[in-house]
Amino acid sequence: MPVTHEPLVHIDHFRMDFGRTTVVRDLSFDINRGETFGLLGSNGSGKTTTIRALLGIYEPTGGTLRINGRAFRPEDGERLGYLPEERGLYKKESVIDVMTYFGRLKGLAKHDAVTWSLGYLERVALRDKAKLRVDKLSGGEQQKVQLGVTIMNHPELLILDEPTKGFDPVNRRLLMDIIDEQKEAGATVLMVTHQMDEVERLCDRVVLLKDGEAEAYGTISEVQRKYGGTLIRLSYSGTVPTSSRYDISLKETNYAELTVLDNSDDAVILKELVDAGLLVSGFVTSKLSLEDIFVRVYGAQNDVVGVG
Amino acid sequence: MARHNLGTVVSFEVTRTLTKRGFWIATLIVPVIIGIVIGLVALSNSATDSSLDSQKNEKFSFSYSDESGYVDPAVVASFGGTKAASRQEAIAAVKAGVLDAYFDYGSDPTKQPTEVYGVDRGIFNNGKYASAATRLLVASAEARVGDPKLAALLQGNLPIDLTAIGPDGNIASGIGSVIPPLIFLVIFYIVFLLLGNQMLNSPLEEKENRVAEMILTTLNPTTLIVGKVISLFIIGVVQALVFAAPIIIGYLFFRTALNIPNFDLPVLVFEPGQMAVGALLLIGGFALFTGTLFAAGAIMPTVKDASLIFGILMVLIFVQLYAATLIVSNPQAFIVQVFTYFPYSAPVTAMLRNGFGSLHPIESTIVIVELFALSAIVLRLAVRLFRFGSIEYTKRVSLGRLLPPKQGN
Repeated sequence: MPVTHEPLVHIDHFRMDFGRTTVVRDLSFDINRGETFGLLGSNGSGKTTTIRALLGIYEPTGGTLRINGRAFRPEDGERLGYLPEERGLYKKESVIDVMTYFGRLKGLAKHDAVTWSLGYLERVALRDKAKLRVDKLSGGEQQKVQLGVTIMNHPELLILDEPTKGFDPVNRRLLMDIIDEQKEAGATVLMVTHQMDEVERLCDRVVLLKDGEAEAYGTISEVQRKYGGTLIRLSYSGTVPTSSRYDISLKETNYAELTVLDNSDDAVILKELVDAGLLVSGFVTSKLSLEDIFVRVYGAQNDVVGVG
Repeated sequence: MARHNLGTVVSFEVTRTLTKRGFWIATLIVPVIIGIVIGLVALSNSATDSSLDSQKNEKFSFSYSDESGYVDPAVVASFGGTKAASRQEAIAAVKAGVLDAYFDYGSDPTKQPTEVYGVDRGIFNNGKYASAATRLLVASAEARVGDPKLAALLQGNLPIDLTAIGPDGNIASGIGSVIPPLIFLVIFYIVFLLLGNQMLNSPLEEKENRVAEMILTTLNPTTLIVGKVISLFIIGVVQALVFAAPIIIGYLFFRTALNIPNFDLPVLVFEPGQMAVGALLLIGGFALFTGTLFAAGAIMPTVKDASLIFGILMVLIFVQLYAATLIVSNPQAFIVQVFTYFPYSAPVTAMLRNGFGSLHPIESTIVIVELFALSAIVLRLAVRLFRFGSIEYTKRVSLGRLLPPKQGN
């Protein structure tokens, strides 16, 4: 992939229809070089479709999808690491043959592919199983091989679709180590995940897809600010008044959660509640987590988690 | 234009197939069986020859009765036989084992069956009695004609050299010109019998192994499909060579033992026009059927689902054999015309007609153009189906998804 000065990934007014069904209506976002970017959304929101269109597997109905300034071509796969949501390997071939094949497809010389693969297998304690058929490996071992195949070409762009899905804790740790290593090596990472703690830990910026459009886009702090940023957990007697300074996001008997709007001052809100005659027995403020935001954005939908 | 990663795909596909133990077991079992059959045939021929020789030289006692008067007593005497005193006595002698055989010639041996009684010597040896009874009558007739050539003429064993002249004044080449173009038909059948199932399964492999997405980010679907077709062709050539090996070895080194006729190769006529048409029909038919099988493989989620389409294509290839006589004898018949122009029956019918010289140049042009045009469409469709179908892991791909996008990227 030739280096240009524009963002590594540039998506502009992307639209994707399948027949009469519109999966992505109008989506625009950029991913800068070296950053880790989170693509978030509920079931059917178009995350996987966006990645497939970005990688040329789908032809977009409209808009522009660019990597390094141009539409993705198979030749560009030599600098791409892609861990799709649907994972698999050629089951009846040996581990080393499969890894070598993918290495060759990604532009490595055969000798380099074999050497790198054996080194990686040594690292993940599978060196003695290099000549075994893939289907003789356990599920966890196959995941390790899959991860190796994803990064064996030292990718400039690493795309991970639901990377921890189905991974056991050991492999999850391995994956996180690999992501950290790739970031340190300068790779740009695009993640699709529902693990909000991972997003908060790893991602520099995110985009939230809803109804085929970007519901929110920016750094995690920017997204938190968009949704108020602060959550008030309120214990009380009486009736909570409505206000332009907050939304009542949860209301139970003598307990409510208020989402602060427009960075309103906590103290002003407390005074307003007391002035309205509310007997406040508890008033705790906390930062709105990404998971809170996710639930708030997609909570009204039936399928809160999943992919699209 | 070189295709990115095409060589890698071909190398991987061929190597992994040729290094599989299962492939060689399945491939070698055919020549091994052929070898065993050839061995048994050679053994049997050898035993039969010995048996015939011994029967030929074997003398046995017999008597005869002759109402026709055609049987020459001198000939009978030279065969070692005697005239029977009576039918009953002769049969009784055979039953008692005193006499080996008794022949009873009726008044008109050409219409009445000659009755032969003999001591049972087993199913294979009993044939010598009937053979001797016939030879006795033929030798008597030849003796009466008195001229061996005239006798041969009467038996109709005459060498004929036929020269047929066509409407254009050219000498027709006969069977020698039919065989070469029909080789393409044989190749067509062999290819699909050996490789048809693999053509269907090949695109399903990426889907069933869930590797399609990773593959499609390193090469385009056309490259993958072309790579798989080339690989199948190479594997098919290897299989064909292995299958042909015992036949070639048998022909070259054991022709006599196997009673293989010494085929006169110079009699074959390779007419350039017919050969070119045959080759084009083969290539067009191969492309059409390959594209269709790949498309079927791409659209279906599993091998089991796809096998129905494979079955239909196989029927379309073989159903014409039931009408082969009609195709050869009456090429203008309605059903033959349908077979000639319907794309999925056209290759076999047209190749058959081309071999027998009944495919007019205009007809062959139409069929070839039709096959190539449809192949291009089907292969393009197969690529598009693979692009979408290969990542539909659990369901058939909806044709609605194949509609072109309203607006390009």
